[in-house]
Amino acid sequence: MVNLLHDTQQLKEAPKFCMLANHNKPIQESIAEYAQGIIGGLLFSFPLLYTMEIWYAGFLAQPYQLAVMMVATFLLLLGYNRFAGMHPGTSWKNVVIDSFEEMGIGLVMSFCILLMLNRIQIGENSLDEIMGKVITEAMFVSIGVSIGTAQLGDSAKEEDGGEDKEPSEAEKRGHARRSGKIALVVLALCGSVVVAGSVAPTEEVLLIATEAKPIHILAIAVLSILLSLVVCYFSDFKGIDRSDHRPTLYEIVFETCLTYCTALLSCAFVIWYFFGFADTGIWNIIAQCITLGLIASLGASAGRLLIK
Amino acid sequence: MTKEQNQERHPEDEKNLLEWTVFFISLLLIMGILGYLVYQASVFEEGSPDLQVNFVHDPSSHSPYRYLLKIENDGQETAEEVQIEMVLERGGEELEAAALTLPYVPKQSAREGWVVLSKSPLEADSLYVRVVSYKRP
Repeated sequence: MVNLLHDTQQLKEAPKFCMLANHNKPIQESIAEYAQGIIGGLLFSFPLLYTMEIWYAGFLAQPYQLAVMMVATFLLLLGYNRFAGMHPGTSWKNVVIDSFEEMGIGLVMSFCILLMLNRIQIGENSLDEIMGKVITEAMFVSIGVSIGTAQLGDSAKEEDGGEDKEPSEAEKRGHARRSGKIALVVLALCGSVVVAGSVAPTEEVLLIATEAKPIHILAIAVLSILLSLVVCYFSDFKGIDRSDHRPTLYEIVFETCLTYCTALLSCAFVIWYFFGFADTGIWNIIAQCITLGLIASLGASAGRLLIK
Repeated sequence: MTKEQNQERHPEDEKNLLEWTVFFISLLLIMGILGYLVYQASVFEEGSPDLQVNFVHDPSSHSPYRYLLKIENDGQETAEEVQIEMVLERGGEELEAAALTLPYVPKQSAREGWVVLSKSPLEADSLYVRVVSYKRP
């Protein structure tokens, strides 16, 4: 009798227990997500891990520049995970946790790969030099990890038939949030940093900007704006349905301007980080931003839609 | 828990032990690095590169008069395009000079390289090495 009561009690408790157990994601799923992130991180950052200007930038950067770079990347990761992360309806708490994880993975990956490539020698290089190189590379790797987790994860879910599931209220709000202007700016920033990041530290940008005449800079600026326009409004991208809504002239101008300005802003930041603005004339700074802006604007508009 | 937070709960967002472990390690790593950078930024002082060169005879089968140079930068700034010269002299007259160029010598770091002489140092009365030039990056 006692046993029977005990069994009944267990049966009553069983669903509750199962529910609790289901709350936690299986370890295998987490490992798969980390693997997707690592692959994404490598895919987007390998060109940078093999670029000597980035290694040099690591030991040329001052400690405050490295700290600013880390904070800026963290903010970008927060934005990306909020507006384009794997789960649309996720809470801020999880966005923060995921961003810390991605940056941590980026730092460890960057350290291991630089060590493997013999770009850092423990015992021979100073701690400042090792940290500078690792941090600079890790920032690009962590953005790649974030994009990899979201993009490779999404496609895997779609293949599993995840789309048939009715989206929850939070997911619906998450999807709505992703079509807003802040989402546009955040994704444009990520796209421009990822695409322009591999070109930004090279001497070529400096050379083109220094030797260009004003007419060349003007041509680059006009082409950048035209490219943003073409990419955003005259190309068919996955997930963009324009059949029932023709954008107004105001929307076209506003979004193109916003995308280009975001691209220029990210250019200014990476140029400041890699070359600094000290002892550089204002015209030269503008010329460098616009020169790099051509690639960044393509990244901001195309990258924004591709990594969506 | 507020209504909004409750609505945003998502089964896939619940963290497991592995994810919490990765999160706490990452948090520690990032906070440690940021703390170190903030400390470094607060004690940072403007300065210039300060190079010191040491050398040892390091012959190889094809280069009997080869010297290994170790260049250390004890200064507060990285030196770029560092040029080093090794000179062989006899009676105040230069017998031979060999040069080594390094793209960078980071602050508080060292770099190594070799210079190869064609004449034996025994023919000379002095052998010295000096830093010719470098620039601010």
